[in-house]
Amino acid sequence: MTPNVRKPGHRTWLVFSLGIIAGAILLILGNRAVEYTSTDNFCAACHVHPHATSSWKLSTHHDNQSGITVHCAECHLPPHGDGYLREKIRLGAKDIWGKMTKDTSEFNWEGKRSVEVAQHFTYKTSCIKCHDNLFPLTLSKDGENAHLYYTQNKDELHCINCHLQVGHYDPRATHDQNLAFGLTSEEKEIYTEPATVDSFIDFTEYIPQSSVSFNMKAIPGGTFTMGSPANEPFRKEDEGPAVTIEVNSFYMAEIEVSWDEYLAFYSQTAAEGRSTDTEGARKNGQVDGISGATPPYGQPDQNWGLSKRPAITMSFHAAETYCKWLSTVTGKKYRLPTEAEWEYAARGGTQTPYFFAGSPKKYETKGFWNKLFGPDTTVINTYVIYVRNSQMMTQMPDRVAPNPFGLKNMLGNVAEFCSDWYSPTIYSQYNNQKVSDPKGPESGTEHVVRGGSFKSDAGEVRAASRDFTHTDAWLKTDPQMPKSIWWYSDVRSVGFRVICEFDPTTGKPVPYKTNKKTEQQTSPN
Amino acid sequence: MTESNFSRRRFLANAAAISTVGAMGISALSSCSKSGKPKVDLKLPPLLDQAPDGRPLKAGLIGCGGRGTGAALNYLSAGPNLSITALADVFDDRLQACRKKIKEEKGNEVADENCFLGFDTYQKVIDSGVDIIILATPPKFRPEQFAAAVQARKHVFMEKPVAVDPVGARSIMASARKAESLGLKIVTGTQRHHQRPYIEIYKRVMNGDIGDIVAANAYWNQSQLWFRKPQADWTEMEAMIRDWVNWAWLSGDHIVEQHVHNLDVINWFTGSHPVKAVGFGSRQRRVTGDQYDNFSVDFVYDNGMHMHSMCRQINGCANNVSEFLMGTKGYTDAQGSIWAPDGSVVYTTRNESGEVLPELQKNPYDQEHVDLVTCIRQDIPINEAEDTAISTLTGIMGRISAYTGKEISWDEMMNSDLWLGPKTYIMGDTGIQADVPVPGTESQS
Repeated sequence: MTPNVRKPGHRTWLVFSLGIIAGAILLILGNRAVEYTSTDNFCAACHVHPHATSSWKLSTHHDNQSGITVHCAECHLPPHGDGYLREKIRLGAKDIWGKMTKDTSEFNWEGKRSVEVAQHFTYKTSCIKCHDNLFPLTLSKDGENAHLYYTQNKDELHCINCHLQVGHYDPRATHDQNLAFGLTSEEKEIYTEPATVDSFIDFTEYIPQSSVSFNMKAIPGGTFTMGSPANEPFRKEDEGPAVTIEVNSFYMAEIEVSWDEYLAFYSQTAAEGRSTDTEGARKNGQVDGISGATPPYGQPDQNWGLSKRPAITMSFHAAETYCKWLSTVTGKKYRLPTEAEWEYAARGGTQTPYFFAGSPKKYETKGFWNKLFGPDTTVINTYVIYVRNSQMMTQMPDRVAPNPFGLKNMLGNVAEFCSDWYSPTIYSQYNNQKVSDPKGPESGTEHVVRGGSFKSDAGEVRAASRDFTHTDAWLKTDPQMPKSIWWYSDVRSVGFRVICEFDPTTGKPVPYKTNKKTEQQTSPN
Repeated sequence: MTESNFSRRRFLANAAAISTVGAMGISALSSCSKSGKPKVDLKLPPLLDQAPDGRPLKAGLIGCGGRGTGAALNYLSAGPNLSITALADVFDDRLQACRKKIKEEKGNEVADENCFLGFDTYQKVIDSGVDIIILATPPKFRPEQFAAAVQARKHVFMEKPVAVDPVGARSIMASARKAESLGLKIVTGTQRHHQRPYIEIYKRVMNGDIGDIVAANAYWNQSQLWFRKPQADWTEMEAMIRDWVNWAWLSGDHIVEQHVHNLDVINWFTGSHPVKAVGFGSRQRRVTGDQYDNFSVDFVYDNGMHMHSMCRQINGCANNVSEFLMGTKGYTDAQGSIWAPDGSVVYTTRNESGEVLPELQKNPYDQEHVDLVTCIRQDIPINEAEDTAISTLTGIMGRISAYTGKEISWDEMMNSDLWLGPKTYIMGDTGIQADVPVPGTESQS
């Protein structure tokens, strides 16, 4: 039996054919639209950030020996077939939303050029698509080492970790050993003597043979609760259990060690070559307070400026060496604070999340309400440089008001090294008894880092918030083999602050002696 | 760029790891499929008896000592239309002896103006219009000369080991990748890769005939090696180079210079390299130089597999030069036989009287040059430099562990700036301190 099937008539065919033609036209138009919206002109039509086009034209991706031009979408979208459409829709939607709802003149374009941000709209697959030979004959010796390192750590590295300025020229960028860094010929008053301090009061320290001075605040000792209560917003496990701690009096620097201060050390002690730069080249005991940092690679201050801005990118080892050097030239015992001293000083006698009023919830960007309308930041803005007001870079200390002890930027601007080894469970080892001047675990692999930075959101700038050095990650793209012991290549938000020890029996700072004999007597064995 | 050897090694390792799954999947679908490893490119050399004819190829020899002269003769025997047109060495007597030998045995004459003496005349050989560079100096000089040869776009045969320190080994790796992207043909003197019994066993191991490899041993225990005592009319540099197999900065010590062959076989068969090493070693009977004469090292691979390595150059002791690999389904000595777990022979490269089967008998020192010339003339990819650099660095890692007494990791090797030897080479005093390393102290190498 034949089923009663109607053969398709003319009409059906017509509709079918028209459908196909319409579909084809739509496809072609769609494709055209995709292509058109990826042209340089289309990008430039809307892209309001200043100098994007001009810096691109000055870059090696526009002006090069081979005469090849690399267009916006060739870096800022992945290759076709590798998530191209998905990313195009994502970035397109983001751009349109930003254009419609935000004031583009307030965007922090400088911040968007940092590796941290740029990697979200610059695609490694696109780099590799054109640069598929990482070992051309023209590759230099340093390049060989760097690319060999890349081939072994592909998952962790993006091409722009090292080649950040290839698409947008930055005349200030240095991609080389920076021998000139921090060397200045300016004539200023040179201090010959350090400060004389006879009592427990605030004082100004003078670094001899330099024009640099800085303020020290006398912090009276006391007892406080270290850590945070379990119900504190954004609290992390390692902030507890809260313990009662007693600390002795000490002097603490009003601001984070500034470039002026650090460069006084650097210019007086810097090694000229990089022969002493590396772990393998030295034997134990060869490093003392006097053999200083080697020239950095690139621009340590990120071109954000020097002077009183906090020094950044120097290693923990460099910070400790600085303290030793400072002790030597001033005759007073300077060092990094312990974690307990740091938190005591940061709290300034308060036990709240911040030394000022307000809940972290109020200031944090997270959370539906704050995300939509922006948090109310009036109070926190007065005291803390953090992600909402930093423009993604360090700021001058006079931007903020001090805490009750007179200290500035304890909670923000840059995070700060402490002398303790980091352990997430150290508070529970204090056994909930009153502990006096704890110094942390006896050994460890990473050191404590305290206080948030210009990159932190409100939850991370709480007084109890803890972090630690991430040595491997912070040296990820150092092109040297072995890596520098003086400079971090991949962290820009950590600095340090010095304290000066106080001797209650003499009522003066603890003097620092470099007498070899004394050291031998006190050292075990 | 073609995929790197690092990646290929990982791929092989992954292939081995998923082989069981793959085999299960296949046998579920097809009843006639044999269980085994999925097909991967084993990158075997062509293994012809003679290289095919083609455009004349000219080679330059850098390092005219015993092995250099031997390599030159092997090369000249590899096929038709091959010649050596330039020679370089630091000693005229060695250069002239080599020149004479290749003339007498192969009728190959080298013109006076193409004979170069001195540390930096390798560049003159490279620039003399040759197609192939043969590098056979002591290994200390290899990285610099290999880089120069690649830079000049020359095919290269170079002897093992390819470096004596991590800086040199990494330089070879980078140059190897440059050569790779240029399509240059590179063969190294790890001739087991061209030795047919090894290749037969390798194919079967890669086919899964001994299952997954779970342990390995590598041995090079032999009698005392040659040495030369200093002569009154020699400078210190001349005395060291004429006695080079006894000086760590020139040879890398014998765990690198000689034992690299066996370490390389284990790396080759496992498609991997160790990630750390702890070793012993000492100097008991060696006469000249600053090296040890025995090492025993425990190497650990990424998957937790251990390889025990031992090497010795002392007279009157038990000798053994071989490899051993234990698998989940059997074991092998890598060149002789494959045994089932019960000790029965599954496959052998020998006949009843223990001789290598006639078709597998080709001399590997000749074979490696036949393969190089064949690959050049037929444009078959071959680049052994990086693998040999990895095996060289494996030996260096073992040496440093024995010298220091410490556990040494591959990451440390990839980041170490250890550089042995003087900064510049002149025929005079070297400034080298001939101290024999003492474990547990601050010994640097």
